[in-house]
Parts: sequence; C-alpha cells; structure tokens
Amino acid sequence: MLFDPSHFAEMLPDIWKAFGQTLLMVGIALSIALVIGLPLGLLLFITSKGLFSTSRSGLLGNRFINIVVGFIVNLIRSIPYIILLVALFPFTKWLVGDTIGPIAASVSLSVASTPFFARLVETSLREIDKGVIEASIAVGATRWMIIKDVLLPEAKSGVIQGVTMTIISLVASSAMAGIIGGGGIGDLAIRFGYYRYDNTIMIATVVILIVIVQVIQLAGDAIAKVVDKR
Amino acid sequence: MYVLEIQNVSKVYKAKKKSIIGVDHVSLTIRDGEIFGIVGYSGAGKSSLLRCINLLEQPTDGQILIDGQDLTKLKGEKLRQARLKIGMIFQHFYLISQKTVGENIEFALKAAKLPKESRNERVEELLNMVGLTDKKDVFPSQLSGGQKQRVGIARALANNPSVLLCDEATSALDPTTTTSILRLLKKINRELGITIILITHEMDVVKEICDRMAIMQNGKVIEEGPVYDIFANPEKPLTQEFISSIVSFDIPSAILQNVQGQIVKILFKGDIAGEGVISDMLQQFKVQGNFLHGTIEYIQEKPLGIFLMELDGQVEDIKRSISYMENRGVTVEVLDHVI
Repeated sequence: MLFDPSHFAEMLPDIWKAFGQTLLMVGIALSIALVIGLPLGLLLFITSKGLFSTSRSGLLGNRFINIVVGFIVNLIRSIPYIILLVALFPFTKWLVGDTIGPIAASVSLSVASTPFFARLVETSLREIDKGVIEASIAVGATRWMIIKDVLLPEAKSGVIQGVTMTIISLVASSAMAGIIGGGGIGDLAIRFGYYRYDNTIMIATVVILIVIVQVIQLAGDAIAKVVDKR
Repeated sequence: MYVLEIQNVSKVYKAKKKSIIGVDHVSLTIRDGEIFGIVGYSGAGKSSLLRCINLLEQPTDGQILIDGQDLTKLKGEKLRQARLKIGMIFQHFYLISQKTVGENIEFALKAAKLPKESRNERVEELLNMVGLTDKKDVFPSQLSGGQKQRVGIARALANNPSVLLCDEATSALDPTTTTSILRLLKKINRELGITIILITHEMDVVKEICDRMAIMQNGKVIEEGPVYDIFANPEKPLTQEFISSIVSFDIPSAILQNVQGQIVKILFKGDIAGEGVISDMLQQFKVQGNFLHGTIEYIQEKPLGIFLMELDGQVEDIKRSISYMENRGVTVEVLDHVI
C-alpha cells in the first residue's frame, strides 16, 4: 500500500517531533539571519558605489568595506549547502559541542542564510527610487535619519518578501541537514522514507513540506502587501 | 544684497573614456527675493547646474556663494546645516511613500533638530500654507500630482530656507495644476520673501512667474536678463525659438502674397500699449495700415504688445510714420520688403 493511514497514525508522535525540530532549526537560523543579515545588507547598500557613495552626499561611500563584505557574502553563497554543512563541522563542534541534532544543524543553516538574506535586503534597498534618497539629502537629513526614516521604511515590503524567501530556502536546507542527522522533517524522510522504503512517511513528509512552504509564501505576500503604502 | 552667486561653475562627468561637460563655466547672480528661471532643452545642463547649487552634485570647478559663504568648501555637518537653508522640490516629488504627509514634512523638521512639541505645530502651519490641512495622515499614494507637489513644497519650506530650488517642478503636472502650483510659488516668494530658482523647458512657466531668466544651451548660459526684456527682444536663435512657442508670428503665405506695402513688426512695451500711437500715426500720415498678426502678452502683469502690420503708401511717408512711432516710444522693426 502506498499510504497506510494506521502506520501514519502510529508515526504521528515522531512526525510531530520532527516538525518541532524543523521549526526550531529554521527559527534559530532565521533569527540570526535577520539580526546579522539586515545590517549586513544595509552596509552593502550604503557602502556601494553610486549616487550616495560620495562622502559629500552624506552616506557612507566606502569601496574597501563594500568589496570585503561583498566578497565574504559571495564566498559563502557560492558553496552548496550540503558541503557548507560538512565543512562547518569543526566550527559547529566548537560552538555547540555537537554536530548532530537540530541545534547543531542551525549553526550551518545560520551561516548559509545570513548572506542570502543580506543580498535580498540589499536588492530591496536598490529598488528605492534614488530621487527619494536625494530629496532627503537635499533636505539636510543626517545619515542615520536617512537609514531609519527613508531606507528601512521604503524597503520594508521588499525586506518582508526577502524574509519569506529566506524561510522557504531554510526549510529546504533544513531537510538536507537531515542527511547528517540534523533532525527535523528531512531527517524523518531520509531515515524512514529512504532507508526503509516507508512510503507513508515519505508522502507525509513531502506533503508537510509543501504545506509549510505554501503557508509561508501566502502569509509573507499578504504581510508585504498590507505594510506597503504605495 | 546678493543672495546667491554662481561663479564660473563647471561640471564635468567622467564617462568610460571621454568626459562629458554638463555645465560649462556658468556665472549667474541671483538677487535676493527674485524668481529666477533657467530655461533650456533637456541635456542643456540646467538640471546639473541646479543640483550644483545645493551640492547634490559637486561642481568640478567654480564656487557657489550664498550670502558670501562658499558652499563648495563645505563638508559633512557644515554642508548639512547649509542645506537646511536651501529648499528643493522635484519633478517627481520624491516623497517617502511609506510615510504620511505629516511625517514627510516632519522629516525635514527632524533634520533641523526641532523639538517634538514644536514639530507638530509647524507641520500644521505648513500644511495650512500649502492648502492641505485635511491630508496630514494620508499617504502620498492617495494624493494627486498637484497635492504631492504641495507636500514637496511644504517639506522644502519647513526650515525657513532663504532659497527654493525647483527642478522642473510643474513638468509632470497638467496645465490647471501647473497654474495653481505656480500661484503657490509666487505667493511663497512674495509673502515669505524666499528667493526661487526654477528650471523648466516651458516658457509659460517663466512668463507666468519669473522676474529674470537665463537660457542655457550646451552647458552654457547664452542669454540672461529680465523676462520682459528677453520676451520683447530675444537675441539668440535659441531664445527666439523658445519665445516663439509663446508668441508665434507665422503668417500664411496666401496672405503674404497679397501684401502690397512694407511689413513692420511693432513692439509696445509697458504702458505705451494703451496710448493709441497707431491711430495717431494713421491720422497724421498718408499711410494705410493693415494688421496682419498681433498679440498682447502680459508678462509679470506688464503688457507686451507685438503686432505685424503692413504699411502702404509713399516710401517717404512710410519712413516718416515709422520714425514718428519710434519717437513715441514704440519699437519698430522693418521686415523684408514684399511687393
């Protein structure tokens, strides 16, 4: 039988546990990506070359910072997650004392998603009409005012869409973390669905992943639309 | 006292291999309390010049003096302070879309570090001035173009600037809205004594509100002076082209063929227009007059009458009639003789 309801019911506690672990991993990694990625994306934008880079215009044109940060971001982003996961084992071990389990997995998930989110933040900042920033410079606004009252509010909707994309990419990556025993839905799918040919669990996990992604995307789009006053 | 001096300002843009000259050694003196218009086609450098005034663009060369202070020497905090006293409005308004009208204006007040209590009061005052008292908590997307520009004006005036720069401020607006915005600018100029520098490609705008004007071409100012004088006597071909968009004298060739006498262009300036010089002339001389074309433009409420007339009669009589009119203060220009 392809899908056995009684087996599914029997496995439900495990599925719930895995679901909780996925939420934990994604939650930790997302928090770190937001806390570090947002300022990083902002830094990438305000140090970039262009209209606001000249020191006179008020924003922080700094080619050196921009190149260094940009290089690190690209470096991390160019490594496939599964390799990053393994490569970070020593660091993970040092940081959380273990390489197995959802907490350990969230270390590499954080490292992978932070530059991803930072680039998304930078992209949403680039979409702001340069004229609006220029008008703020003309009005005599300080750098901090421009960041707080112009850049962040104007990019808000785009940043929320970036959060949505980051969560979805985290859910996908977290499933991969299952391969090395990271726990969560992916772990369940590999241990039961793949190693034991347990179709019920395979189908259940796939459905759960689909539902999670759909719900996040819909919610993200709705929030982005509500906050946007354009 | 001169409020603003642009001295020998140049702006060169470095492109990949060649450099492009945006502004080419421009010197202008803007007087305290006047409305100064800079006219030119797109690419003439007028926008670059305007942006050099508040250092949105750093001039490659030259000085911008406001009340004797050279802005091009300022940096950082000093430059920011100087910018508080130079308002600017834009063709596309550039309001913060995620903030309400009130917050957009308050933003400028925050830049001047005005305490929170006084900010609210000042926002109300400014909204009142631009006629948007009921729009304080509305977002810019819910406003019409004209209303957005009013918010832009309120923001620009928030910190009592001495100069207001208008970058094609009415070019995105329909004619009726343009008129109302121009009226508002004029009111601001007269009531608050704020000097206004505006750039535009619409001669109507200049005719409507400017005291003096400059015409730019290829980064250079090719002609400048009081608007009335330039309308009455445009010297450069480009200036004439711009003026002709307002005052055009194309006579259909069918009519020209029937012209027997001498065609003259007659210019009445100011009060002369009402004096009946032509009827006096026709009575005194044996000359027949025939109007071919004519208009009276009111520039700064001063009439400027321009007429094309055919004078028919003895050559001597025509000559005498012309000098008679000239003696009465009318400018007469003899156009090509058509038989």
